[in-house]
Amino acid sequence: MKPDSESMEPKTVEITVAGKAIQAREGETIIHALWQAGRGHDIQTGCVGGVCGACTVTLRFKDGRRGGTDLACLRPVEEGMEVFPFPVDALASPPPVSDPDEDKLRAEFPTVDRCTKCDNCTIACPMGIPVMDSVLRMQKGQLEAVAEDFTTCIHCGLCRAVCEDKVLPHTMGIWVRRSLGLSVDHPALDQTREATMSDQEEQEWEHLLNCDDQERLQRAKAFRKEGIIA
Amino acid sequence: MDWAKISLDKVKDTRKERVDQTAPSISDDEAQNLIKEYHPDYVGNERRIHVGPNADSDPFPMELADLLESDSPVPKNFEPTVDIETDVLILGGGGAGVTAALGLADSGLTVHLATKLRLGDANTVMAEGGIQAALGADDSTRRHFADSYVGGHGKNDTGLLRHLCEEGPAGIRWLTRLGTLFDQNDDGTFRFRSGGGTSTPRVLACRDYTGLEIMRVLKNAVMSGKTQLLEHDAAVELTDDGKDRVTGAVLWNTQTGKLVTVSARAVILATGGSGQLRLQGYPTSNHLGATGDGLILAYRQGCSLVFPGSHQYHPSGSSYPEALVGQLVTESIRSAGAQILNVNGERFIDEMTFRDVVAAAIIREVVEGRGIETPTGRRGVWLDTPLIEQTKGKGTLTHQFPGLIHRFKRYGIDPTTQPLLIYPTLHYQNGGVRIDTECRTERAGLWAAGEVTGGVHGTNRLMGNSLLDIIVFGRRVSESVRQNVPERGAVTLTRLKRYRDELSGLPHKPETTAPQLYPRVSGMKFELKEIPKPGPGAEASPDAVKSFEPPDPFASR
Repeated sequence: MKPDSESMEPKTVEITVAGKAIQAREGETIIHALWQAGRGHDIQTGCVGGVCGACTVTLRFKDGRRGGTDLACLRPVEEGMEVFPFPVDALASPPPVSDPDEDKLRAEFPTVDRCTKCDNCTIACPMGIPVMDSVLRMQKGQLEAVAEDFTTCIHCGLCRAVCEDKVLPHTMGIWVRRSLGLSVDHPALDQTREATMSDQEEQEWEHLLNCDDQERLQRAKAFRKEGIIA
Repeated sequence: MDWAKISLDKVKDTRKERVDQTAPSISDDEAQNLIKEYHPDYVGNERRIHVGPNADSDPFPMELADLLESDSPVPKNFEPTVDIETDVLILGGGGAGVTAALGLADSGLTVHLATKLRLGDANTVMAEGGIQAALGADDSTRRHFADSYVGGHGKNDTGLLRHLCEEGPAGIRWLTRLGTLFDQNDDGTFRFRSGGGTSTPRVLACRDYTGLEIMRVLKNAVMSGKTQLLEHDAAVELTDDGKDRVTGAVLWNTQTGKLVTVSARAVILATGGSGQLRLQGYPTSNHLGATGDGLILAYRQGCSLVFPGSHQYHPSGSSYPEALVGQLVTESIRSAGAQILNVNGERFIDEMTFRDVVAAAIIREVVEGRGIETPTGRRGVWLDTPLIEQTKGKGTLTHQFPGLIHRFKRYGIDPTTQPLLIYPTLHYQNGGVRIDTECRTERAGLWAAGEVTGGVHGTNRLMGNSLLDIIVFGRRVSESVRQNVPERGAVTLTRLKRYRDELSGLPHKPETTAPQLYPRVSGMKFELKEIPKPGPGAEASPDAVKSFEPPDPFASR
């Protein structure tokens, strides 16, 4: 089972970050390479796990391969990679509305119809969201599908930053999701509105709380089996 | 993953017979012994500290002990002069801090929220599995309490835990009113998942992006309100009025390198956890800033810490590829049916028992030689994700766990056909600053909520109780502050001076400063920058970064 460690030694590659070269181990992420080089402050970093959208970068390759945009915390380094910090500021958006439709969306976001279908937003998205298609769905009012499209959106802002027509795709995405979300009825939650406690509830709390710690642990173990006082 | 072919073949070969196998059972006593023998909290890598309210009592992890006995980064000759005056200062931009800010929105109080990174760059956004609330048909707030109490080994603060469970449903309602979308069944009812140690399905989720869904809604909501945001401002010290009341904070702006003093009538500590201290060299699932800053700040003010030696090592941290080491593989993947296997393709623990038990069992398996070693020398056991596709139908993983698929796909690993290698990762700080049920610390003027606090989870937290914690106690802290906000006090560093005097009496002093602010591995650290005074005819400093246009990312399309 033990691997042949010599042949597995990671190769060293050279990348540049904001024009300055660093040596990195093949397979590690851009952020980890920056840490190794003592340059952690050079790219704004948040979760280091691909979900906060802080470490947006643009990429270019010396050999002309397509670069594009990505998250520095997830992107592994490659020989000849040129990395440029590309922070995108978060943007406040209009408050969500109940029962959203395409008219309400258009009223809040008149730029939705400016989309020229260049598809830059889709290519820029590090999460693989079909952003441009979703903007077209917004125009048609297919908002349930839009909400689904933006389920994985980390609001890094790249789709907005690369949009030449200021269409604000992800900003509309969360507006649609929140608007749909607050329009859903949840009968299960409305039931909990009654604040008065039944006798049974009071008895159960009494049973679980009114004893010493050792006894409580035993009672809790028994109670959790069926959810009733045994 | 050719290096693991022999073991992976065994996993494949045994899959058929494992499909209907019941999980290995473990008695309470066996579980306790397993934890005592193998859980990292119990290996004895701890020491007592000799200053502050917990002096010479509880054992602390070495890394945290060193920080608590370290000096402040604030220069000794620094005299705070107020730069910003506010009613409420919230320290921390994760779920607890932002919930508190939203709770104060219509209070008439001015609110500043300071965060070391950006708003929302926090552990909340990384939470995957879900949030608990007793809303199911067979469920009750008492059952939620009993599960959490047993999971926490009966060490939970019962007052705090009761609030957590009782206010769960109201917390969920608050979130849905803000527009949070939770997974639903076809009939529109909530879909509940099981978590390790839940006796009935109680976990609400948004696929495997529950924390992201909650955080982006909270962030979006707070950005359209009146909360003043201080991003890239790390709290490095609390100020006091000279009579033990907290009156503000000294912040360090990570971009300008300058110190900023804030005077506040109330300070809410919501700085989160400490996974990036990487105790005992463990990797972590936490974000860049999770270095326990709030523990240090509160402790210097005289607040005691509850269960400072209790941390959660999440059983399923990724162990391969190297770039993803420590990152979370959500517990709900086990609740969906993925089994944990050793090198021989054998199950060895009930995958759905409490987290500390599962983690200890994995460590035992590896210690006793039944683990798998990666080319870089890391070890782990298998999480048989392809099994879910077999039992729950093709496409289940892609639909239910898009985050997992997305992350591993980049490294050529497809969890629908390829088991994942996992090992425990430092995930959550169970202990923390002591609070009462109104989120008050032991110092007037200082409140706290979320992961920085200790007590509610005992010494082991259940899945889905941390997202609930930040919502319930984020709301409670705002209510408590609203009703008890004191008058403005003087802004001094009296407590710090006293703490420094105590430190000077120690025989050995660590050569670090605290709060640590960044993980050691990042090489990032506190640095004060003097702002050069521009003289007559001064040129731009030679090493000032020249501004440049980033290249057009689509130039080579």
